[in-house]
Amino acid sequence: MDVFEVRGRLDVIAEELASEEEEEEATDEDVFEQGSSDVSTHTQQMKVSTDSLTPDRASAVCDAALCFQEQLNKRRSKLSQKIVEMENFASNLEEIFITVEENFGRQEQNLEQHYNEVLQTLLQRNEARAAALDEQKNSKLECLYGQLLRCGQTLDASKELIESAQELHRRPDKHGFLQAVMPVMKRVEQFAGEEVDLKLGVSLDFQVLTPDLSEVRQMMESINVLPAPSAPVMNPQIANSATDTSLHVCWSLFSDDTVEFYELYWRLISDDCTMETPQEVSQLKVKETHCTVSSLRPNAQYELWVTATNTTGISPASERAVYMTVPSPPVLKPRQCVSSLNAALIRWDSGNTDPVESYTLEFGETGTDGSGTESIVAIPSCECLLQLQPQKIYILHVRAVNIGGPSDRSEPVHISTTGTFFHLLEDTAHPSLSLSADGLTMFYLDEDLPISHMTFSDNTFNRCVAVLGDLVPVRGQYYWEVEVDEDAEFRVGVAYEDTQRNSHLGGNNTSWCMRHILTPSRHKYEFLHSGWTPDIRITVQPLRIGVFLDYSRGILSFYNAALRQHLYTFSCHFLHYVQPCFALDNPGALTLRTGMTAPAYITP
Amino acid sequence: MDIRKCSSMTGLTCTEQNFITKAASQQAASEHGIIIVAPDTSPRGCNIEGEDESWDFGTGAGFYVNATQEPWKTNYRMYSYVTEELPRLINSNFPADPEKMSISGHSMGGHGALICALKNPGKYKSVSAFAPICNPIQCAWGQKAFSGYLGPDKSTWELYDATVLAESYSGPELDILIDQGRDDQFLSSSQLLPDNLIAACSKKKIPVVFRLQQGYDHSYYFIFSFINDHIKHHAKYLNA
Repeated sequence: MDVFEVRGRLDVIAEELASEEEEEEATDEDVFEQGSSDVSTHTQQMKVSTDSLTPDRASAVCDAALCFQEQLNKRRSKLSQKIVEMENFASNLEEIFITVEENFGRQEQNLEQHYNEVLQTLLQRNEARAAALDEQKNSKLECLYGQLLRCGQTLDASKELIESAQELHRRPDKHGFLQAVMPVMKRVEQFAGEEVDLKLGVSLDFQVLTPDLSEVRQMMESINVLPAPSAPVMNPQIANSATDTSLHVCWSLFSDDTVEFYELYWRLISDDCTMETPQEVSQLKVKETHCTVSSLRPNAQYELWVTATNTTGISPASERAVYMTVPSPPVLKPRQCVSSLNAALIRWDSGNTDPVESYTLEFGETGTDGSGTESIVAIPSCECLLQLQPQKIYILHVRAVNIGGPSDRSEPVHISTTGTFFHLLEDTAHPSLSLSADGLTMFYLDEDLPISHMTFSDNTFNRCVAVLGDLVPVRGQYYWEVEVDEDAEFRVGVAYEDTQRNSHLGGNNTSWCMRHILTPSRHKYEFLHSGWTPDIRITVQPLRIGVFLDYSRGILSFYNAALRQHLYTFSCHFLHYVQPCFALDNPGALTLRTGMTAPAYITP
Repeated sequence: MDIRKCSSMTGLTCTEQNFITKAASQQAASEHGIIIVAPDTSPRGCNIEGEDESWDFGTGAGFYVNATQEPWKTNYRMYSYVTEELPRLINSNFPADPEKMSISGHSMGGHGALICALKNPGKYKSVSAFAPICNPIQCAWGQKAFSGYLGPDKSTWELYDATVLAESYSGPELDILIDQGRDDQFLSSSQLLPDNLIAACSKKKIPVVFRLQQGYDHSYYFIFSFINDHIKHHAKYLNA
C-alpha cells in the first residue's frame, strides 16, 4: 500500500464517519486531520475515539500509521547514509585542500627563491659596476689633481720669476740689475721655453662597463622552464572496487603541471610485531591516474603512495593512503547448521586468517530465480540465527566484509524447514564411535580398543560412548527419530551442552534419556535423569523411537514411532537450551532420522 | 457434533458414583471433548440369595462376565451390558459417535476393560487400566467369582481372562496403558498378577506400557493422580 492509497482510504473513512455523525448525532468527536503526502515535512495527527470506530476502520487507521512510520524510517536511514557519504567526502576534500595549499606554497617559495637569487645577482653586478666607476673616478681625480698641483707649482714658479723680474726691473741700481738680470733672464727664458702642457691628463668621459648579466638572464629564463610536478593526492578507496587479490587505485593532480608518468608504490601493512624489517615496497609505472594492482593478499591492508615525473624531475611523494583487499569468501559448515520449522542456525568458517569486519548472509527460497533474496548484514561472528518460513527449502551464501568491500559469495548450503534438521557432532563423540559420512549414523565397533589408542579432548565424552547433536537455540518444539538394532543397548534423549563428559547419559541432572538394557530374560527400559528411573515395562520393543521436545510445555516425550505408542514423558523445566544426545552401551549402530515434523498424534 | 466416549469401569464394591465423584476426570475429559460413561459394577436389587454376602462376589462384584450358572445367569450379564446394552443406550440418548469408543477401568473394572477390548478386536480404539486384575483364573478373587458365575469348567473361565485372551489375541493393534501402584496391597497379595499379562503381551507383541508407580496404593488417590495421562492416551486415538 503506498502513501496515496492510504490517504484515499483515510479520506473515505473520514467521510463515512462524518456522515455517521450527522445521522446518529453521536456525542463522541472524531478528529481526523490529513497531512500531505510528504511525510518528512508534515506530521499526521489522528485522534480517533476507538469506541465509535468499527474494528475494520480502527485497523485501517493503524495500517496507515504503520505505513507512514515505515516511510519515515526508510527516509531517515537514507538520510543517515547520505550524511556518512558527505562526511567522507568532506574529509577527503580537506586532504586535497591541504595538499593543494602545500603545493602552491612550495611553488610560491620556489619562485620567491628564484627571484631572490636573480635580484641578488643583479645587485652584485650593480655593485661591481659602481665600484668600477668609482675607481675610474678616483684615478681620474688623482690624475687631475696631480696636474693641478703641477700647474699650481708652475704658476707659483712663474709668479715668482715675474715678481723677481719685476723687482729687478724696478731696481734703480742698474749695476746690480745687470748683475742679477742675466740668470733671471735665463730662468725666464727657460721657463718660457718650456712647453706648458695645457691638455687635460684624463678624459672627462667615464667608461661605462657593461655588466655581465648573462647569468641573470639564464636565471630569469629558467623560471619559465617547466617545473617539476607537484605532489599528487591519493584518492580514498572506492567502495567495491577491490577484489581479494587486487586493488583499483586512483589519484589526482591538483595543478596544471605537465606529467609524463606516475610511479605507484605499495607496501603490505603487517600487524606482525616480530617483523624487524618492513615489508618490501613494490612499484609500478603508470601513465594514467589510476591502475589496478594485482597478486595481493586477501583481507590485507596496503600502504600506497604515488609520485609524478616529467622532464624536469620527480614530484614529492603523495600522502600515503591505506587500501584494503576484500576478504576471501567464508566456508559454510553444513554439518554444523541446524534448522527447525521456522528458524535455522547457520555456521561458517571465516576463510581468512585475520579478522574481518563483519559477515553478510544472503538467502532465498530455491527455485525463485534469485528474486526475493534477503540479506542480513553486519553479522559480527561466524554464526547467525535466522527466522524462516516453514515447509520451504532455502539456499544460503555468506560473504565476509571489510573496509575494502564484500568478498565473493561462499559455496552455498541448502537449508530445509520441513522439520528438525541436525547432524551428530563429531567433536563431541567418544573416540570409540565412528560417524557415517552423512553424520547421521553412529557405530560403536570395538569395545576392546585400548584407551591408549584413543584421543580425547575437553569436548568428547570419555566414559559413556556418547555423542551430541545440536538444535536451533529457540525455545520451540522439536522432533526427531532414532533407529536402533534389536540387540542394541542404547541411550537417547537430550542433555545440556555442558553436560559432564565423564558421566553417563541420564546419570546426572544435566541429561534426560531413554535407556534400553538387554537382559537374558527380557528387554528392560529406563527413563533416566539424575540416575533415577520410573519402573516401566514395555511389551513391544521400539526399534524406531520418536523423541519430542517442547520447551514451552517443559516436556521430553518418547514414542514407539512405528506404533504411535507413547512410552514416557519427562516433565522438566529446561534452564538452558538442550541438545539431542545418543549413546551405545554395547557395540552396534544407531541412526538418526531428521527433517520430519512431529506426527499429528504427538502435537494435539 | 459426535462426541467420543470412554467407558470407565469401576472395581469391587464400587458403584458408578465412585469414578464419577472421585477420579476427577471431568476436567481432562472436557478438555479433550470426551464423554465418560461410568457403569455400575453389578446389577442391583435383584434379591438373589447370597448376593450381598461377600464384598468380592455378587453385588458390587459382577466381574463383567455373562454368568452361566444359577441363580446368577439371568441378571449377572455385565459383559453384555457393557459391550452392547449400555453403548446402545448412550448412542441413542447422547450425541456420541458410535465408532469412537475406548474403554478403561480400575481393579475389577480394569479386568473388565481389558477383556472387553481383547474379546472385541477393533471395537475399542484404545484401552487403559488402573491396577487391573490381569489373570483372574490365577488369583483368589477370580477363582471365587468365576467358579460362582461360570461353574467349575475352567475352560469357560479362560474366556474372561485377560492374560489368556492376550495369548491368543489376533486383531487390530491395541495400545494398552496400565498404571499400577507399587505399594498396592493387592499387588503384593498376588491378586493382580500384572507380570503374567506383560509376559503374554510381550510374547504376542501386543503393545503395552505398564507403569509401576512408586508410593501409590490401590485407592482413588492413585487414579486421581494419573487419570489425565489415561484420558490423554484415549484422546490420542479417539480424536485421531
